[in-house]
Amino acid sequence: MNPSADPAHVGLVLVSHSRRLVEGLAELVGQVAGPGVTIRAIGGAVDGSLGTDADRVLEAMQAAATEPGAVVLMDLGSSVLAVNAALEDLADEQRAWLAVGDAPLVEGAISAGVLASTGATLAEVAQAAEEARDARKL
Amino acid sequence: MPASSDPPMDEQVVVTATLPAGVALHARPAADLVRAASRLPVPVTVAANGKRANARSILEVLALGAIGGTELTLIASGPGADDAVRTLAEVVASLGA
Repeated sequence: MNPSADPAHVGLVLVSHSRRLVEGLAELVGQVAGPGVTIRAIGGAVDGSLGTDADRVLEAMQAAATEPGAVVLMDLGSSVLAVNAALEDLADEQRAWLAVGDAPLVEGAISAGVLASTGATLAEVAQAAEEARDARKL
Repeated sequence: MPASSDPPMDEQVVVTATLPAGVALHARPAADLVRAASRLPVPVTVAANGKRANARSILEVLALGAIGGTELTLIASGPGADDAVRTLAEVVASLGA
């Protein structure tokens, strides 16, 4: 997380089974998006092994659920379940500030992070994440 | 260049800009280009290496695979296109500075 980030920018919540994976991704996205975009990276189980810590996912999503919002991206399986469960635990007014992106985690986070750094809206940043589904590399 | 009025809607404005030596369109320079393109009032297409990218899409710009010294072609059309491509050409020339 980069606590100096500008609250005027949409943030990101990144959820993975692996703490190292998601911290590395946050580092990469932070480099291209710059310091203005708050990135919350949640990875691994309670004991640090591969897995999902639903409580930490919920805490991160609660913290991110304020104006101007955040896009939530996750890797697979139980990460998706934890994000969906957390959404159900949030109040309606919190949920309104979150957009869960159905997107590849790495490409979606980079696409969303760069767009967030332009001051784009939550809907625009979420769309940028989802456009990563169709982006070709070669 | 003479002062130009906006081109007709379908007329394309095309300029070229060369990436500075040693500055590839990788992470940070590519993001700088995308941020600049996002501030423009019209969409700009970047072409290089036989590929085309929406200048506002970081993933498309990265997929160009443009290395330092590559000549980029910037294309836009409609009102504001002329200013947009010239502004972006200046950004390209200053990347990495």
